[in-house]
Amino acid sequence: MSIGGFILRNAVRNKRRALLSILSVAVSLFLLVTLLVGLRELTQPPTDEASAARIVVRNKISLGNLLPRRQRATIEKIPGVAAVTPFTWFGGKFRDEEVMFGQFAIEPKLLLTIFGEAKMPPEQFEAFVNDPTACIIGIKTAEKYGLKLGEFMKLQGTFWPIDLNLKLVGIYADGIDDRNLFFHHRQLDEMPNNTGEVGTWWVKAASLEDVGPVVQTINAAFANTTAAVRAETERAFQLSFISMWGNIKMLVLSICSVVVFTLVLVSASTMSMAVRERFRELAILKAIGFRRRELFAFILAESFGLAAAGAVIGVGGAWGIFNHTDLVASASQNFMVLFEVTPRIMGQACFVATLLGIVASIAPSLSVARMSVVEGLKTLD
Amino acid sequence: MQTNDLSVPLVAENSSEPSIVQIKELSKIYRQGEINVTALNRISLSIARREFLTLMGPSGSGKSTLLHIIAGIDRPTSGHCIVQGVEVTQLSESELADWRNQNVGFVFQTFNLLPVLTAFENVELPLLLTRLTSKQRKKQVLTALELVGLADRTSHLPRQLSGGQEQRVAIARALVTDPQLIVADEPTGNLDSTSAHEVLDILRSLCNDAGKTVIMVTHDPKAAAFGSRNVHLEKGELAP
Repeated sequence: MSIGGFILRNAVRNKRRALLSILSVAVSLFLLVTLLVGLRELTQPPTDEASAARIVVRNKISLGNLLPRRQRATIEKIPGVAAVTPFTWFGGKFRDEEVMFGQFAIEPKLLLTIFGEAKMPPEQFEAFVNDPTACIIGIKTAEKYGLKLGEFMKLQGTFWPIDLNLKLVGIYADGIDDRNLFFHHRQLDEMPNNTGEVGTWWVKAASLEDVGPVVQTINAAFANTTAAVRAETERAFQLSFISMWGNIKMLVLSICSVVVFTLVLVSASTMSMAVRERFRELAILKAIGFRRRELFAFILAESFGLAAAGAVIGVGGAWGIFNHTDLVASASQNFMVLFEVTPRIMGQACFVATLLGIVASIAPSLSVARMSVVEGLKTLD
Repeated sequence: MQTNDLSVPLVAENSSEPSIVQIKELSKIYRQGEINVTALNRISLSIARREFLTLMGPSGSGKSTLLHIIAGIDRPTSGHCIVQGVEVTQLSESELADWRNQNVGFVFQTFNLLPVLTAFENVELPLLLTRLTSKQRKKQVLTALELVGLADRTSHLPRQLSGGQEQRVAIARALVTDPQLIVADEPTGNLDSTSAHEVLDILRSLCNDAGKTVIMVTHDPKAAAFGSRNVHLEKGELAP
């Protein structure tokens, strides 16, 4: 018999309790990982190089206030600007339902210049540029609705007083968000009673070094006009959205804290119970020569073992479900696309499990340290 | 570790063997709330090697307390207790644990075997603290189990053994590190007369044939009759 075998025998001596303890740790860690993954999904802005060179220009008052079309010529003349496209949110209903994908009016020929990471066959891109009634969609939306090239998509305007009937000519993938639909801004420009306004301008800087000066120049160019703007990098723009999630973030983190705290209490209670019912055996071990530090090591190893087993099931289960199935994406109708367990989240969960193993063993270790052999034997008798 | 420098006789009374245990002016006082309870009152006693000493007396007379102090699992309030030349009252917790592992074998009334371990593994337990290899441990465990007549029960769990067999496994566990001193606290208290007789026979042969010193606490005069010397305690003092 080895020391490890002895510890294992003790850990699983009450199989039902060991199983329930492991499951409680597993479920709690699964929940913790789910919350952390969800929080990441809500707060993670794009960080690739292409997005770093993109600048979003919006009305300084609010995103809901539109910008005059005349601003485009001014922006295009600013040194360091490679391309400018209007970028206007449409927000129509599709098939009579509120949809979970964005619909944006843009300048088609600049699509790949500004959003170069999106992949689409050249003939589809050409068809999109050449047909003012055409649209393209991301592959996730196409798969979700079973859309095929050549089909017409009817979008019923809710914010804009116009209904669109767009011909699907292209499906892209590997963009920053493979759910969106893009169509010609002409559709909005030419609608009746058009006031010549756009939602935002999206600007591509010629290089990463140009981003700072271009942002400053755009902001300065329209300061003190009737449509003052706020230009910022795409990352800063995304972060401004994230800041709206501030309270949600705090709520999620609070729930995480409660989960961890409850988990510690449950585990500490379980370990205390397990050790308390073995007091006399620990007294015997002391009597035959086992020292305090060896008994501490037994308790710590047992506690850590239970936490580790729970972590393997809970964190491993989350990793298996979130990283290797489309369960969350399909359940959320492709709203949650970044729902995956990252090495960092896995590390955080394993750290919690380790901490749990240590903290849960403190109270029983202290009581064993305080117990004299004679007291322990008396509990027996 | 301190060695004997006391004026306690190195040869036990009525024995030609040198002393293995020398106790001088040993007292133990428990504090229960506001009251001090004297469990042992200035006891002096010498126990020879190869002696089978039985400690008798009514409940609360201090016999178990005396046994615990000799075995190094309790500490006296005052006095000296020297076992095999070592002043056990002066040892630290850690030194005492090592000393117990090497010098004392314990046998308890309720056997105290670990229920999740087999007979073999229970006997092997004290050897996990030594540097013996697995093969050496196995040899010693089997020798100890043979000595108590249970070589054919190695893979049995305690719940699969009778009370007498459990106590014999406990004796094998006490023997396996080859200590000079075996302490037994009412080892027959939970056994029927046949099993009790077997256990007492083993303890006596350990003393007579293997040269161990056995100190046994008992209430039973029949069990005490197996000892080579009997000591009575009354209210924490040795009875004349």
